[in-house]
Amino acid sequence: MSTLVAARLGGSAVSPPPAREQLVDPRRVRTLSLLFMGLAHVTVLRERVKGIAFMLVELVFLVTLPTTVRLIGGLVTLGEAQPHLPIRERPNSLFMMIDGVMVLTVVAIFAAAYAISVKSASKAAREINTRGFPSEKHKRFSAVADRAFPIIGLTPTFILIAFFVVVPLVFSALVAFTNYAAPANIPPANTVDWVGFDNFVRLFGGDNLWGGAVARVFVWTLVWAFLATATTYVGGMLMAVVLKNSKLRITPLFRAIFILPYAIPGVVSLLVWRNMLNGAFGTFNRTLAALGITDAAIPWLTDPNLARFTMVMINLWVGFPYFMLLVTGTMTSIPAETIEAAKVDGASDWQVFRRIQLPQIVFQTMPLVIMSFAHNINNFGAVFFLTGGGPNLPDTTTTSAGATDLMVSWIFNLTVNLQQYHNASVLAIMIFLVIAPFAIYNFRRTKSFKEGEL
Amino acid sequence: MAGIDVAKSRRNQRINTAVIVVILCSVSIAVLWPIVHVIAAAFTPGRSIASMPVVPFSQGFTLDHFHHLFTSTNYLVWFRNTFVIATATTAGTLVLASLGAYVFSRFTFTFKKSFMMSMLVLNVFPSFVGMVAIFVILLRIGGLDTLWGLVLVYLAGNLPFTTWMVKSYMDNVPRELDEAARIDGATSFRIWARIVVPVCKPILVFLGVTSFVMPWMDFIFPRMVLRSPQNQTIALGLFSFVTDRNNFFTYFAAGSILVAIPFIMFFVLTQKMLVSSLAGAAVKG
Repeated sequence: MSTLVAARLGGSAVSPPPAREQLVDPRRVRTLSLLFMGLAHVTVLRERVKGIAFMLVELVFLVTLPTTVRLIGGLVTLGEAQPHLPIRERPNSLFMMIDGVMVLTVVAIFAAAYAISVKSASKAAREINTRGFPSEKHKRFSAVADRAFPIIGLTPTFILIAFFVVVPLVFSALVAFTNYAAPANIPPANTVDWVGFDNFVRLFGGDNLWGGAVARVFVWTLVWAFLATATTYVGGMLMAVVLKNSKLRITPLFRAIFILPYAIPGVVSLLVWRNMLNGAFGTFNRTLAALGITDAAIPWLTDPNLARFTMVMINLWVGFPYFMLLVTGTMTSIPAETIEAAKVDGASDWQVFRRIQLPQIVFQTMPLVIMSFAHNINNFGAVFFLTGGGPNLPDTTTTSAGATDLMVSWIFNLTVNLQQYHNASVLAIMIFLVIAPFAIYNFRRTKSFKEGEL
Repeated sequence: MAGIDVAKSRRNQRINTAVIVVILCSVSIAVLWPIVHVIAAAFTPGRSIASMPVVPFSQGFTLDHFHHLFTSTNYLVWFRNTFVIATATTAGTLVLASLGAYVFSRFTFTFKKSFMMSMLVLNVFPSFVGMVAIFVILLRIGGLDTLWGLVLVYLAGNLPFTTWMVKSYMDNVPRELDEAARIDGATSFRIWARIVVPVCKPILVFLGVTSFVMPWMDFIFPRMVLRSPQNQTIALGLFSFVTDRNNFFTYFAAGSILVAIPFIMFFVLTQKMLVSSLAGAAVKG
């Protein structure tokens, strides 16, 4: 395998090398390639197509260098406030920031390309000195294009991720250190300035109102993520086991019914529940009243604690089928002989479940349970469609964080309704710090990691 | 003695069955109750949730709401938009993820490790954290309020995870398969199209389904990117029926049924496959 790849990527062995003679001087190749991208390829390595491509990259970079410097300067200053100008001509700090981040990304890509060109030159030099120059066939455009396949295959992915994932994330991390917020610092009318750690100080203790809201929402986010995951997991497992043990002929029908919540788009089911549970005119309360169970309307979504409880319950409704399917799948993979053997030894159904099936299920599903916990920390839909973050609490007028708001939905409110971009960014950084360990855990159990490939 | 034991165990069995039936039925009622009400609402005269009867289907029957959806709202346009977005996102995800995964799985090159590592880390971020920047970038490239702009956002969001997933699958496919083709003189592109993609069909089907389903439910990005009425998606449209200001629950119900039914049919029909693919995801790393 490795020789094949090497042969493919670095030109191939054709003519046997002249005895011990150095066809190219590695130090000269190194100097040339460091001097100008692709120079070594064109001059001594006889890889014209590749070399010219590299040279073009450097030329474009040099031609655009003044712009690059200007845009990075913009990122540093974010523009001076110029209130005498008409709004349209004032410096737009927002654009300056994003352009700056994008240009930095381009510079990073260029630096990577430079490193790649130097590496590829030294590698080619080594190849030539051991095996001689590659034949003409391998220097044809089609051969070069095939060797460039990794680059061609990854470029679209690379560009998309760079500009639609990396740049936005870097930008929003940077916003945490600015005063980008309504009403005083919204471009284009006003500029934005760097403020250092001021936002962190305000949110983590400097301001009682904000500090209290951060603590409250943070704790609820964790409690919610735990409850949401635990209830759906236990509920799903229960249904899977009950379905498995029932010998009724209509069991498949029940299974089909139980999949329904999983199959209905979340927007639909959550909005339905929101309407059904409306305190005043929702169907649920009116049904309870008609059955004579309650007299007064129950404020399912308008009492803070009851709303939190309702949210967990509705999430159970929405989420248990996923774990039911998952546990069903895991149970079928447990060898039937093991269970038979236990039964022959006189184990009851409960003992079989408790001692044999449960440990297996837990062991196999734990990674997905952990991912589900991370997902629930960011479960925007469960809040936004069901409660909209409400009901309101005393600090909600200022902070916009309602009783059931999670960190994510709060960030959404802060961005879309209050334009408090700086605070939203601080919270986003907080979420990242909470979720990162789960990602690392998930990463460590991937096959590539275990096999030491990474 | 033995006779009593048999009788006892038979009684136990019967109690067991009874308990199971009670559990299954009560859960079924809990699952079906809102669904039945939504179906009923779609066919019941009236508009808001307040006018809905407590007993489903007890206040007459009408097809007006469906008629209203097709004639007085942009429902068909929303449906078409969402379908276009979902199809384009799925196609793009499958092509780029399988290409990227093939490169990662079979080639060695500079910065491969750091690139793969950063793709994993990027997965961690809630995707809409960078909302403002995405908005400005789309504004700059003229992608605001266009369907393709939204597709680009979805594609970029999908790729880190899907590429990794296909790569882990592909690592288990014997390399001899594509190396044999290479010795026969096939180009990398040909090997990808003719050997790698067919072999990875199971995982690609799974990814295709998940990336097709995702845009139907998403709300945040369409709301941010799509502004004009003719560019809305189903989720935005349905949401607009039941805001706090105007509650047209019956239109909402009718519209929901039209989206949900294909999904439900698909999921119920493929439940066997779902079970195995979910379990596969649990066991595999």
